Amino acid sequence: MAKVFVIDVARCSGCYNCQLACKDEHVGNDWTPYAKPQPEVGQFWLKLQENVCGTIPKVKIHYIPKLCNHCEKASCLESCPQEAISRREDGFILIHPEKCNGCRDCLKACPYNAIYFNEELAIAQKCTGCAHLLDNGYKLPRCVEACPTDAFKFGEEDEMQDLIPGAVVMKPDTGQKPRVYYRNIPGKFIAGTVYDPIAKEVIIGCRCLLTSGGKVLETYTDAYGDFWFKDLAVGKYNLILEAKGFVRKYFHDLNTAVDINLGDIPLDKE
Amino acid sequence: MESKRIDLKDEFKTFKGTSLIGQAGGPISVVDSSEGKITRIRPYHFEDWPGFKDIEPWKIDARGKTFSPPNRSVLSFVGQAYKKRVYSKNRVMYPLKRVDWDPKGERNPQNRGKSGYVRISWDEAAQIIADELLRIKETYGMEAVLSEADMHAEGKHIYPAHGCANRLLSLLGGYTIQIRNNDSWEGWHWGAKNVWGCEPVGQMQPSANLYPDILEHSELLLFWGCDPESTPLPIQGMMSSRLCYFITEVGIKSVYICPDLNYGAAVHADKWIPILPNTDAALHLAIAYVWLTEGTYDKEYVETHAVGYEPFFDYVLGKAEDGIPKTPAWASEKCGVPEWTIKALARDWANKVTSIIHGNGGPGIRGPYATEPARLEAILLGMQGLGKPGVHQAKMIEWHIHTPYYPLPYQSKLRPDIAVFAEAVRPPKTDYAGFFAHPEELLDQSPELKELLKPMEVAPQQSIPKCMVHDAILNGSATWYGLDKFIGPREEQFHLHKFPEDGCSTIHMIWTDSPCMTTCWNDGYRYVKALQSEAIECVVAQHQWLENDCILADIILPITTKYEQDDLQEEATGGTYEAVYREHPACPPVGESVTDFEAVARVAAKLGKEYYDRYTGNVSTEKLVEMFYDASGLKDYLPYEEFRKDNMVILPPDPDVKHVKPGLREFYEDPENNPLKTPTGKLEFTSTALQEFFPDDEERPPYPKWIEKGASHDESISSERAKKYPLLCVSNHPRWRMHAQCDDITWTREIETMKIRAKDGYQYEPVWLHTSEAEARGIKHGDIVKVFNERGIVLGAAYVTERVIPGVAYMDHGARFDPIDPNGIDRGGAINLITPAAITSKNVTGMVVSGFLVEVQKVTDEEMAEWKAKFPEAFNRKIDSATGVCLESWLIEK
Repeated sequence: MAKVFVIDVARCSGCYNCQLACKDEHVGNDWTPYAKPQPEVGQFWLKLQENVCGTIPKVKIHYIPKLCNHCEKASCLESCPQEAISRREDGFILIHPEKCNGCRDCLKACPYNAIYFNEELAIAQKCTGCAHLLDNGYKLPRCVEACPTDAFKFGEEDEMQDLIPGAVVMKPDTGQKPRVYYRNIPGKFIAGTVYDPIAKEVIIGCRCLLTSGGKVLETYTDAYGDFWFKDLAVGKYNLILEAKGFVRKYFHDLNTAVDINLGDIPLDKE
Repeated sequence: MESKRIDLKDEFKTFKGTSLIGQAGGPISVVDSSEGKITRIRPYHFEDWPGFKDIEPWKIDARGKTFSPPNRSVLSFVGQAYKKRVYSKNRVMYPLKRVDWDPKGERNPQNRGKSGYVRISWDEAAQIIADELLRIKETYGMEAVLSEADMHAEGKHIYPAHGCANRLLSLLGGYTIQIRNNDSWEGWHWGAKNVWGCEPVGQMQPSANLYPDILEHSELLLFWGCDPESTPLPIQGMMSSRLCYFITEVGIKSVYICPDLNYGAAVHADKWIPILPNTDAALHLAIAYVWLTEGTYDKEYVETHAVGYEPFFDYVLGKAEDGIPKTPAWASEKCGVPEWTIKALARDWANKVTSIIHGNGGPGIRGPYATEPARLEAILLGMQGLGKPGVHQAKMIEWHIHTPYYPLPYQSKLRPDIAVFAEAVRPPKTDYAGFFAHPEELLDQSPELKELLKPMEVAPQQSIPKCMVHDAILNGSATWYGLDKFIGPREEQFHLHKFPEDGCSTIHMIWTDSPCMTTCWNDGYRYVKALQSEAIECVVAQHQWLENDCILADIILPITTKYEQDDLQEEATGGTYEAVYREHPACPPVGESVTDFEAVARVAAKLGKEYYDRYTGNVSTEKLVEMFYDASGLKDYLPYEEFRKDNMVILPPDPDVKHVKPGLREFYEDPENNPLKTPTGKLEFTSTALQEFFPDDEERPPYPKWIEKGASHDESISSERAKKYPLLCVSNHPRWRMHAQCDDITWTREIETMKIRAKDGYQYEPVWLHTSEAEARGIKHGDIVKVFNERGIVLGAAYVTERVIPGVAYMDHGARFDPIDPNGIDRGGAINLITPAAITSKNVTGMVVSGFLVEVQKVTDEEMAEWKAKFPEAFNRKIDSATGVCLESWLIEK
């Protein structure tokens, strides 16, 4: 029986409540033997990562809350020479503040940079899943309870099976088998606005064909002359814009290493 | 590790409302504390109240989906992080006196904002204030005391944040009251009211059932200068966020029109149309042009529901005196939106059932000539059949006020209302407490409270609009229209007032319990100058934190936060359920702080027992809570003794509310029998009242126009001034503060949109610049920059981003004033220091705090070194690495 977090990125509005509630619980509060107090500032047992994508006016933001993944194969646990790190029955990985000798091996071992070093106490610290609360009558870790949009779900892995399929974990190739799942992390986008520079009108219903490695995606410009191809994999794409009465326009080798806004695109009359 | 029973440090639990709007409680939090210290602040789970099982939650069914309240309160950053506010290093721990202010000798007014403070005893502080009051009264009369007491603060009732001093000043023989201008609604109040008459603040009212109607019928929502993920948060929590997700879920398109990709646009927008600040009127006019030339407006509705439309239409089409058709090409040059996008927006709006959404503010609503875009928006809504299904102006904020029925169906039948023990906004020469007067029928439920809340004699005999306090002090006189009181009807716009009133003194003493003029109002450096003038002999501030205008005061009194106080609270703002709950102190007072009420009482005690007894009424806290409960409207629903068992009562939503017609539906259906509150009862595209009172006012003409410059303001990019100051400054309601509240929270200051730590280690307020503008100025992300114009310099750190339109410098207001030179250089980032001096327009007594010209430059090492050499004392002040400005910054140890 293991607890998991499932985070729906599409429901996260970036309020930072999770990051703040975590601090509210752990900064200045001593939960030994679960955790010693977190320093006033500088540690983020839960850190909200802000991703600003695209260029004006095609800009989107998505936020990804990051915390200890409480991995099934936790390299931190294996790295600790003091056996100060252990796994609970519910899957939470805890660093025992009284056993930690401050060697920092776990900080190096964690591929997610989820472990922090408390200089004053000379110990490693991280997310405890608020185990001290769950063991004492609370149902939810603070970050989950504080989420106003229910982007955070928390529970037994086998009770979350309708949410986990299709979800991803961070850095799956490390083989750590994380227990924090993410849904709806957006892929890259290619977007633009198509217009007629003579009439100074947007072109509505312009056919937009995006091709990559034999795959074809098709969309049409909307009431604002906009097209969006969202959730693209990183790669190279070719784009064709065609509208009745206008000369076709081609874009080659669009590289979605970053999100692409092609701006306001004039089409010449035939 | 095995699970362990440990001490969760929640030996004491109480509730605290988390709204910072003042009075209202807001989303309920549970505060756990132990050994006199707050452990945690967390959401309240409604089912924890035993009676909740009998409550049927409200819901909106729309397009096959259901919107209903969550199972717990949805707090914002305010609730989650307020512990850091309570225990801030910026707290005023004990009474302070300005070191070089001697009431019996040199007062050194010129040093306000420069000199430090020494600790004094409560006894000494109270005695000094009492002596000064008596001296002023004898020398000039009581009107020489200006009371700056108004809203926004922690929600408090029995010992409120604002207006306690007014009770005592009244007993002493009166005072001058500062009347707050319509700061959140300038354009709506002074402009839109003249089109649609909607009282009390000029935004569309009533707002009954707007969201059920919108969710069912609207196809397109224009979030116009609206950030639902920012402005509402510190007032009502996060229900606006949930609502925006639901709007998208049911397939309604969200188009955001704003200079910045605000926090709502960033996650909810289907389209973002960036626009240059305060140019919305040009866009409005071009939209009207498209509709008129293409015949895509509701002609029949206009003919039956509006008057004075012909001259306006002529103006749009270029048939008026100026001869300029307001084409999309014309507007594009003004507003920076491509011509093709303007046409597309106009047509999409005409094709789809469309409502406009605001979070207060709106299109240039706090800018120069704010009346014009506000009036134009009301007209455009009128041209598309305002009041018909799905066609409204709706708000993401203040769902519980200004309207008999809420826009979301969470209101109870009882609608409890808890009184406030103060006279913060009492209009001059009246025996009426003003906007916050408690309803008579509720006061009748507690005759003892009714007696206690009777307005004190003597009423203030004169007033000064808050946005003109600097003028009134520096010039010794002022005249203005309107603002008979805070939030008054349209007719008052045409009343002329003057300061001083006949027989009344000018100002020689200021008592403030809302010390944030420099950070929240207009022309802050001039306010500093006013307070440094010889005329002002004594400035008293009472506040929890040593911030903003406190550093202009001579005496500072330490005040408790609500977490240290006892109170009775209501929840109506949060959009989940209405509730009434008891707030117990979660911890003892920090330092020597006392409640605002007690602080004034200590001064009253020095004036004599008679003053003390009249001021306080000598009622115990416990008794006050009971009296306030009895007058809340719940007395017959749940007796106080029963309420005390849980200290909580959640009220069932009224299922009958859904039968109330939404918004202006009745006017839409039958304008003759359901007239608006305009002189004609119709939508006045040309205002009959403005035509009558100000026919020649070029800054607010009878029908709305595009005003590029005028006698009051010259803040357009076409201005000669723009050669020196080419950027338009946008100053939004802050994402991480409630105006000037919460700038010191260490945990939000770690977030880059709140503060940026620059190379000198100081945490600066972010200044957003588009990548191209930063490049053009050799500015890199994180560089220390100066934002400046003729009025002075404000420092910040560059936040280089694609989230803002080129041509703009964006800086949230409300960062704490941290003067390098209080007369022109601020390190804290208080952008309101350099906002325009003039009021909204000639006859419009509002403030201008956004959409004004500035330039931004990198601060070179040489320039910083020069300032350090010239103002060493400013740089020697201690700045806490995590908190920034703190008590120690200004404290002089004896």
